[in-house]
Amino acid sequence: MSNEIYFAQVGDREYQIEILSETKVVINGTSHDIDFQTLKKEASCSLLVDGKSFEPSTYQENGGWEILLKGRRFNVLVEDERERQLRLAAGQTSLQEGRFILQSPMPGLVIDIPIKEGDEVEKGDVLVILESMKMQNELTAPRAGIVTRIQAEINDNVERKQTLLILE
Amino acid sequence: MSPNPDKPMFKKILIANRGEIAVRIIRSCRELNIPTVAVYSDADRHSLHVRYADEAYRLGPSKASESYLRSDKILEIAQKCGADAIHPGYGFLAERADFSQACEDQGIRFIGPKPSSIAAMGDKQVARDTVAKAGVPVVPGTEGQGDLSDKMLLKIAPEIGFPLLIKPSAGGGGKGMREVTSIDEMPGLLTASRREAESSFGDGNIYLEKLIRDARHIEIQVLADQHGNVIHLGERECSIQRRHQKLLEEAPSPFIGDDQALRDKMGEVAVQAARAVDYINAGTIEFLVDEDKNYYFLEMNTRLQVEHPVTEAVTGIDIVKEQIRIAAGEPLSLEQEDIVLQGWAMECRINAEDPFRGFLPSTGVITQSIIPAGPGIRIDTGVYAGYEISPYYDALISKLIVHEETRGETISRMKRALDEYRVLGIRTNIPFHQALLDNPDFLSGNFNTQFIQGGTMPENGNQMDPALPEIAALAAVLATYKYTQQSAVSMLRGKRDISNWKMASRWERTKE
Repeated sequence: MSNEIYFAQVGDREYQIEILSETKVVINGTSHDIDFQTLKKEASCSLLVDGKSFEPSTYQENGGWEILLKGRRFNVLVEDERERQLRLAAGQTSLQEGRFILQSPMPGLVIDIPIKEGDEVEKGDVLVILESMKMQNELTAPRAGIVTRIQAEINDNVERKQTLLILE
Repeated sequence: MSPNPDKPMFKKILIANRGEIAVRIIRSCRELNIPTVAVYSDADRHSLHVRYADEAYRLGPSKASESYLRSDKILEIAQKCGADAIHPGYGFLAERADFSQACEDQGIRFIGPKPSSIAAMGDKQVARDTVAKAGVPVVPGTEGQGDLSDKMLLKIAPEIGFPLLIKPSAGGGGKGMREVTSIDEMPGLLTASRREAESSFGDGNIYLEKLIRDARHIEIQVLADQHGNVIHLGERECSIQRRHQKLLEEAPSPFIGDDQALRDKMGEVAVQAARAVDYINAGTIEFLVDEDKNYYFLEMNTRLQVEHPVTEAVTGIDIVKEQIRIAAGEPLSLEQEDIVLQGWAMECRINAEDPFRGFLPSTGVITQSIIPAGPGIRIDTGVYAGYEISPYYDALISKLIVHEETRGETISRMKRALDEYRVLGIRTNIPFHQALLDNPDFLSGNFNTQFIQGGTMPENGNQMDPALPEIAALAAVLATYKYTQQSAVSMLRGKRDISNWKMASRWERTKE
């Protein structure tokens, strides 16, 4: 197995992680003994690091990872060496999330879409009101952006993971 | 009257409900040696209550209006299978006076109050008038008899004063409820409230009520038999709510604490309120309590409550068994003096919702479920690994209840239990509870109904272990690496596999 080098960004912290073998990694220059066991088809895994036991859940979300660990959530962006070089060559200095695709998190009925195409929205603005499980739920913008496309209409019955709108 | 083990109180009890509460009722029936009948919608064919009951019959399609709300079908099934009593659980038909009446008309015992008591307490305005006459203090402000127009409500609102609440006349559980801080925003909120009330309860009638800021929601459990005996089982603290939906309850209330005089007084008032409507069976009087310990009647829930297990833990009483005994005509075996609260109990409602995404409901198949165990732990649930959470019903998947000596020890036990709990395949609000139990204001008992704001998580008071972001980064990298390796392996396999080439050459040959 060849050594693989990855770069991971969590908030404003960056980690360089080199995988030496199945049981050895180097994080920012410090070597650690690890054991990583995944459950078949499950988001949850058992991770031993220098004897300490962790059980993170790993979800792929919007091109990055969402890690749930000890009741906390971490958004992690990962790139390998090649991806990093390409990005730096393109003049991008920070890892950017591209466009945001709002997908319906559950089956439901579209009650309201209080915005229209071309609108500029702020983080936290309500994009869609969806009724499901007897409750009206507000789907909000995860960050500021411009609504480039709306793909649902009021009174639509939507499926889980159906695209509702796109934010650039 | 001592129960005769050879002659059960009822021949057969039909449970007109689903989910965890149906399972919980079946358990008590089993222990009382009474056969049980489950009813189910198409979405619930694989639910635990269907598997646990002695008999089970299909009600209809998944929508509640075509299944669990079909009182006619439920009564038809009860008659066919020979059930002589119906337990309605909570929600669905539990607080429908017409259903209680229909049971009575067909000679089937409704395990709950009389139709007249449900009707009196079900109409919130009648309820307030009735208990106020009996000397029970009510929340100031509310006016409006019957279906007032938006125009009238806008006129009355400034007289009540802001902030105030718009509440649906027909229902509870926070659906359709809106908080109004100024007259300007009120027209829009009236429309939204009516719309949600109409879709949830089929009744867009709403009313206004003064919002008591910094209020706590504390409720008293009562038991009343058919012989005029009414007792209370102490209080439950239910101030931890999000959008007026309770999330965590405890007994006793840290706000009442050692103030036994206040507990006794509120208990007495609750008993008076129950007597005011000739109440029979288990019921709950909800109060708002302000900072100066003034308490106001909010409403009476004429049914079993979701959070009843915390009272069971501190009193040692099985409330469902008491409900069944009361319905069978037995007098209460306990007097008020016999009720002594033992230790502390807490319940976390585990919901299928994502606390990191504004508590959006999460549907899908539960692929793995490891429930906490050990001393002082109780789980009431209707789900299991392999169970699919459907969008048809509410998001509650289980109730985690713990019991210990003191509040501090109870919190430690709850944290331990939440740490053990694993639910995979869907998202749950377990991280919300974990953050809450580390919040300094929650720990010191300094909170009210406004404590949880909108879609936000409570502030976690604990310093985060600085190693965690690094572990998260490592987990993400290892997961990425694993995926890359897996796809590389399947590509290699593809190369090694020569059958494609064989097929290609055969193709070439047949062409010749």
